[in-house]
Amino acid sequence: MLDTLTLAQASAPAPMQTGTLHHYLVVSALLFVIGLIGFVSRRNLIIMFLCTELMFQAAGIALIAFSRFWLNHTGETFVIFVLTIAAAEAALALALVVLLFRRKESLDGAKWSEMRG
Amino acid sequence: MTQALPSTMLAAVSMGEKFVAMWPEAFLFITTCVVMVLGLSKSLPVRRMCAPLAGVGLIGAGLIAAAMTPDTLCPLPSMAMYGKVLAAGIGLVLVCLLAGTVDRDFESDVERTGWFDVIRSKRAEFWAFFLFSLTGLMLTAGADDLILLFLALELTSLPTYVMVAISTRRDRSMEAGVKYFFLGALGAAMFLYGFAFIYGGTGHTGLQDIQREVRAQVDAGGINELTMLGLVLAVVGICFKIAAVPMHFYTPDVYQGSSASMAGYLAFVPKAAGFFAIMLVVSCAGWGFGESRAELPGMLRDVLWIIAVLTMTVGNVLALLQSSVKRILAYSSIAHSGYMLVGVIAGPGLDGRGGEFTRNGLAAVLFYLLSYGVMTVGAFAVLACLERRSRDGEIEEADHVADIRGLCKTHPVLGWIMVVSVVGLLGLPPLLGFFGKLPLFTSAISAGEIPLVVILAINSAIAAYYYLRLAYLCYIDPPETSPNLAPLRATPFGSRRVAGMLSAIGVVVLAVVGGKLADATVTAGRYIPPAGQTQQPERAADDDAPTPEHVVAPH
Amino acid sequence: MIEVVLADGAVSSYIPVMLLLTMAVTFGAFNVIASRLIGPRRDGGTKGQTYESGMAPIGTARKRFNVRFYLIAMVFLVFDIEIIFLYPWATTFPNLDPGSTNAQVWLFRILFFMATTVVAYIYGLRKGVFRFD
Repeated sequence: MLDTLTLAQASAPAPMQTGTLHHYLVVSALLFVIGLIGFVSRRNLIIMFLCTELMFQAAGIALIAFSRFWLNHTGETFVIFVLTIAAAEAALALALVVLLFRRKESLDGAKWSEMRG
Repeated sequence: MTQALPSTMLAAVSMGEKFVAMWPEAFLFITTCVVMVLGLSKSLPVRRMCAPLAGVGLIGAGLIAAAMTPDTLCPLPSMAMYGKVLAAGIGLVLVCLLAGTVDRDFESDVERTGWFDVIRSKRAEFWAFFLFSLTGLMLTAGADDLILLFLALELTSLPTYVMVAISTRRDRSMEAGVKYFFLGALGAAMFLYGFAFIYGGTGHTGLQDIQREVRAQVDAGGINELTMLGLVLAVVGICFKIAAVPMHFYTPDVYQGSSASMAGYLAFVPKAAGFFAIMLVVSCAGWGFGESRAELPGMLRDVLWIIAVLTMTVGNVLALLQSSVKRILAYSSIAHSGYMLVGVIAGPGLDGRGGEFTRNGLAAVLFYLLSYGVMTVGAFAVLACLERRSRDGEIEEADHVADIRGLCKTHPVLGWIMVVSVVGLLGLPPLLGFFGKLPLFTSAISAGEIPLVVILAINSAIAAYYYLRLAYLCYIDPPETSPNLAPLRATPFGSRRVAGMLSAIGVVVLAVVGGKLADATVTAGRYIPPAGQTQQPERAADDDAPTPEHVVAPH
Repeated sequence: MIEVVLADGAVSSYIPVMLLLTMAVTFGAFNVIASRLIGPRRDGGTKGQTYESGMAPIGTARKRFNVRFYLIAMVFLVFDIEIIFLYPWATTFPNLDPGSTNAQVWLFRILFFMATTVVAYIYGLRKGVFRFD
């Protein structure tokens, strides 16, 4: 019974082809770049935060792909920690954004520029 | 299914050693938990225990670190102890400096109304975050793995964002906190992506394994593009923490928006964490390249070179244009990051291990972190000690350059702390700043980075203008009384003055014992070059977690 | 992309999936039927709302929510993330030799980790996160 529970994992996975790895890396790079462009060009604080999350998840995809490529678990472990940090950042971002909104009734990042120079 | 794998045992042993290395952090963490709960007490004397307890925690952690920090498994094995003791030492001064930052208005409300609103209380959170952040700094110094390094850096930064946002009750602090948070998240995403590529290029996250693997790649014809891209991305991302050029925009706004005490904190803690991290990441590639066999690999060196030059120039030039002392110190903080990057580029020197203080750029950086921390905390402490009640009834700290005019006459102690701090930051010979800057110059010269040394010298000359201007304002200018503003008074928090005096004394005394410190930094900046023999990349070798499912043969 | 390699005896390897599906369907059906049979029936104003104990679903969306919603969300986040770390531990722990030092060390580690959550819980308790009045 236990043996059947191990399912597909039971047979050693075949090494990943370099070409296949590249597909994942392209997706991850696209996500990262979309996040970066969005972060720079958008002014809504929540969208900006979503863009940083996008960049985090891009790194996550790359880590999982590399983990599969090298056939060790380090990358997957890393992703679990990345998820934790992303959650902590989400909590922080939401708290800050709510506070900001209560003060100025706006989420426009450009309205928050008391200091210049 | 239940076979005990030898690799499991090995992993357990090495994990056990890792926990020994983490005793200072564990102690600090337990203190943090106590502080976090005690700070919510209804009784004022219990609430007041937060800051002293934080101090006790730091002393304890520092002593434990000094007594029993083992070498870490990374190319810079001895940096852990120095970093942890440094964090505890400067942390103690910061405890004095940060007194009364968030709880002042709240406590006066409690006194007036006689009602303790636990939701509005921020004291427990502030001190707990402070200690969490310093725990993160200690972990960064002792990190031997990319995962640990990432977590430690985030543990250092995440609490800081909140601390900035709550450091005063003004909108400005909120703005500063949000700016800091968003750029921080961007920086974190970048160095995380860099770490992912380093792992992708080498197949390891342990710094020692990465170093070995990079060495193997070099022997086989050159560093993998993925690894290189990862290293560059990681360095650029960490530039946020040290306020270096592509990610420096936030610095002046955040320093100005937060309270002066918090700005002093920001000038040291994230910067120290960033430099520990940069040195650890860069040391994985090592300084065994170039014609002299003592340079960083080509692209990494070029990127760092450009960042260093831009950082110091931008920082110093923009500092000339400021009329706010906090902004001047913020730009000077940017410039100092540029100086320290010179030491990172110079590396451990020609013998490849960093045995000599004047030639070891890493020791220079570690020394400079200490001296910069002491001096900048002193300068910010002066600002934190001066306050006035502004028209809207809020308490406002000294910030404009006019506020420190004639300070040596109106508040002699504060004035002199300011003079000593800025002259130290300038790097004049009898003071600590000089002994910090000297090895940066000598190590860069011995590494053959002559253009960099020239730029560093020019920048020091530019910096002299605004540092001397600050000193001149304090010492020679007559006190100015503006009719529009209430006169500045000394803050009721005596411990901030103590922080300033400790820093000023440190600037003088640490210079006297500079020789001993130099020895300590040389030990701390010891670099282990990669072993000579090359190893094949171990694909499918599984040495860090017991994972029977994957090891069991297919049936 | 990744080809899924199944173990030998392809049919038997689907048994856990079927088990899971059956459990899911049974659980859902049981709850619906059971609440029909034994649940009290009191219709009324609050009962008819979309979120019985949440915010009012009709009206402007730009009004303030009670801050407790955010606090609950964050408390949820703490436990949610804690669970992520329990899974890898739970999959590896049964493979250790029971009674060995290794197993004790592993147990101690997870207990320490969970103790940190208890600290978060005590903090939340004293901060008044769990008071719903």
